[in-house]
Amino acid sequence: MEFFLVQTLNGISYGLLLFMLSSGLTLVFSLMGVLNFAHASFYMLGAYFAYQVSVKIGFWPALVVAPLLAGALGMLVERFGLRQVHKHGHVAELLFTFGLAYLIEEAVHLIWGRAAVEYRVPVELDGPLFHIMGSQYPIYRGFMMLVSVAMLVSIWAALTRTRIGLVIQAALTHPQTVEALGHNVPRVFMLVFGGGAALAGLAGVIGGNAFVTEPGMAAAVGPIIFVIVVVGGMGSLAGAFVASLLIGCMQTFAVSLDWSLAGISIAQVAPVLPYLLMVLLLIFRPKGLMGTREG
Amino acid sequence: MSAAPRDGPRAIELRDVHKSFGTTKIIQGVSLAVRGGERHAIIGPNGAGKSTLFNLISGRYEVSAGRILLHGADITNLRPFEINRQGLSRSFQVTNIFHNMSVYENIRCGALWSAGYRYSFWRRVGGLKDVQRRTEEVMERIGLARRSSVLAGTLTYAEQRALEIGITIAGGASVILLDEPTSGMSRTETAQVVELVRSITQGKTLLMVEHDMGVVFGLADRISVLVYGEVLATGTPEEIRANAAVQEAYLGALHGETARA
Amino acid sequence: MKYAPLYLGRWMLWGASALLFAVAPHVFKGGFALTLLTQMGTLIIFALSYNMLLGQGGMLSFGHAVYSGLGAYGVVHVLNFMGKGSLVFPVSLLPLVGGLAGLAFGLLFGYVTTRRAGTTFALISLGIGEMVFACVLMFPGLFGGEAGISTNRVVGQPFLGLSFGPALQVYYLVAAWCFLSMAAMFALTQTPLGRMANAVRDNPERAEFVGYNTQRVRFLQLVLSSFFAGVSGALSCINFEIVSAENVSAIRSGGVLLATYIGGVPFFFGPIIGAIVFVFFVVALSGFTRAWLLYLGLFFVLMVMYAPGGIAALIVMQFPVIRAGRWRELLGPYALAALAALVALAGLIGLVEMVYRLSEPGASTVLTVLGVSFDARGAASWFTFAAVLAAGLAALRLAARRVGERWSALQLELQSRTA
Repeated sequence: MEFFLVQTLNGISYGLLLFMLSSGLTLVFSLMGVLNFAHASFYMLGAYFAYQVSVKIGFWPALVVAPLLAGALGMLVERFGLRQVHKHGHVAELLFTFGLAYLIEEAVHLIWGRAAVEYRVPVELDGPLFHIMGSQYPIYRGFMMLVSVAMLVSIWAALTRTRIGLVIQAALTHPQTVEALGHNVPRVFMLVFGGGAALAGLAGVIGGNAFVTEPGMAAAVGPIIFVIVVVGGMGSLAGAFVASLLIGCMQTFAVSLDWSLAGISIAQVAPVLPYLLMVLLLIFRPKGLMGTREG
Repeated sequence: MSAAPRDGPRAIELRDVHKSFGTTKIIQGVSLAVRGGERHAIIGPNGAGKSTLFNLISGRYEVSAGRILLHGADITNLRPFEINRQGLSRSFQVTNIFHNMSVYENIRCGALWSAGYRYSFWRRVGGLKDVQRRTEEVMERIGLARRSSVLAGTLTYAEQRALEIGITIAGGASVILLDEPTSGMSRTETAQVVELVRSITQGKTLLMVEHDMGVVFGLADRISVLVYGEVLATGTPEEIRANAAVQEAYLGALHGETARA
Repeated sequence: MKYAPLYLGRWMLWGASALLFAVAPHVFKGGFALTLLTQMGTLIIFALSYNMLLGQGGMLSFGHAVYSGLGAYGVVHVLNFMGKGSLVFPVSLLPLVGGLAGLAFGLLFGYVTTRRAGTTFALISLGIGEMVFACVLMFPGLFGGEAGISTNRVVGQPFLGLSFGPALQVYYLVAAWCFLSMAAMFALTQTPLGRMANAVRDNPERAEFVGYNTQRVRFLQLVLSSFFAGVSGALSCINFEIVSAENVSAIRSGGVLLATYIGGVPFFFGPIIGAIVFVFFVVALSGFTRAWLLYLGLFFVLMVMYAPGGIAALIVMQFPVIRAGRWRELLGPYALAALAALVALAGLIGLVEMVYRLSEPGASTVLTVLGVSFDARGAASWFTFAAVLAAGLAALRLAARRVGERWSALQLELQSRTA
């Protein structure tokens, strides 16, 4: 019973982290039609920036500085890279971000080396949050959930309650009209792309020390995020939310359960499960759980 | 005008077709019959649902309710390629050609399936004499024979519209849907297109959406008037011209044009 | 797809290529050159098969290595059976086995992946690739785990005196299959399916309205492409005598994408150029610097931004000017731009290498260039290289503008002449 509770909480916290990543991706995709292949790379950069800052200064400054750095980098990428490629079409944009992912990974190799770095959970957050019937649930996991929810709520509020949010929503479907009305749509694009990068960076800050911070982390989580986006339905935030929690819990349980079938344990099969889910969905429900926009 | 029998076999039949997008009703109970061999025009104010009707018939959209029949067979909600294979071909109001291919290749694409070559990957397309002949024939008819190897994306607007029609007829379909074939054209260009349409629809069934009343009254055997997703009237050009309701709803302002036609 | 209007020209081109294949190892002598050539030949087939999807079908795949890798696995098992004596089969025909294995998986996965198009297709291909990679690691009995399965290509009776032991014989096997595959894939572009694949790429909607099921067209195109991918996988297996999870990895898939794109997607011969350039980058450059993948990635990104048609497009662009006999007028601006680019590159390489020196534990922090030492710990070295980079970029900007001006002027003159 306690096992089930703890693993469910773990699954939800992992799922929320995944949703932080997939929501940023979905927002950028919905607004700009660009699927940012390097989205997981900004996740990685957030973790590495946070590591660097927390080693020199501390974790709490890192929580603010690292996402901002990632966001700034995202804005630069949009302004000087993506904008140039925009005129060549969606395939070129996707390939640009694909190449960018390579570049970022290699730059990380270059600067921080190929081994994992010791990005640690801060002492204040290290320890049990509460005890459930003998097992303990770590504070940090609770912290992760808190940050995820807080960030997502503030984004929702920003999009629906502020003026810039309304402009963004309008530019989602009618960029030319919005521009004709006097808004600087290219600047909006830059902000949104940077915002997506910052969101990914924040996920990296809180995820990098909970899991592992190494150059392969982008390549490890990237495909899962894309599966979530496909399973949830391209362009659907609600679908991404459902898919994130689903896959987060699925992965957590698969790795921790002790079942086997025909000599193969479910933990062994765990890496493949999200992709199997995607394949099944494609056969029976190609639009995804709540698909709206065709890529 | 072709001599279509008053009650000949029905090429296209719509039975109480409805189409809504969300809560917006675009087509509200349209029943229409296009007789085999006749030239039938659909006219109506903007937003009446003419293009939507085309899209429903050709399979681009699914109906919300009702049935569509082609030569008596139910084609409601079939995929566009399935409908095309049963003998219906359509053109598009916004030119929908293969921009990166030459004029010749564009038309050949339209001819390949009906020539029976399907997904063949063991035949050299250059050696298919029947397809070659058909393509050259169509190019000649639409007047683009001298522009055969030009990239479709670099043609002039009028040439692209002609190519649009060329692709539509290349497969030899017996039922042809033309969506505003003369839109955006000058007087001379329009006259050329009218002659083209007249010749290519000889012995075939034509359903046409048009705004140019001169074209409509000159070409059509029968006209249907679509207003707010409903058919106001169907009849010969004289009947439509004389119809009071149609005049009030649509034709009144255009009386001057029809006098010139 | 562009193709030469003159049939004589085309025959000459094919004849020349065959000649090049035959003569290459004698022109570029040595063991190292031979490994390069053999790998280029294998990658050419792989890249051409990839372009059947991207260039001809408009399908961007991030998981094409699945078909070549599984083809390789098929062949390694057959080869091991042959080695044990349980099966008699000519080594020279093994690429056919690889092709059929690739085709089988093309039928299996293609059905699922081609249900969607565009970006969704790309993501699905990525997912399938990751899935297959994970599965390969999960079943070490079938796939040999991380270490993979090794084999021996010298089995059975020599075929016409060829045992395929020596590297030169392997090269000629690869060259023969490469030439055959090139010819076959080119022939496919001239078939109804090939033409309709182009149509589906350009305007899938219209293709549906002229009677074609676009999903079926894409599916068939993928299946045929997976056959040739399997052929290339088989040749890779024969060449390296080992197949591991790396053969189905995202790295392989990414590599063929890079190679094809750099070569030029819109042209049939583009991937051929790309494969040659890519093998150079990877094999030759990786011997010189640890940062080779960074440079490759940068090259790729710059191509996407400024030359989306690849090297092939850059070459073909020059043809009208060459035909008019006025290419000499571009030589000056081009040379200037190349010089500026080299300067910028020098600055960049200096900076990158210095970062390595600092981050690599135990490496000397001194970089020696042309006898001059730069200490990575000193700010002066950083400033120097940064200045060189900045100067190079500024010069490149000017030079690019000159090239643009000269181009426009030439275009105007050439157009007014033909008008």
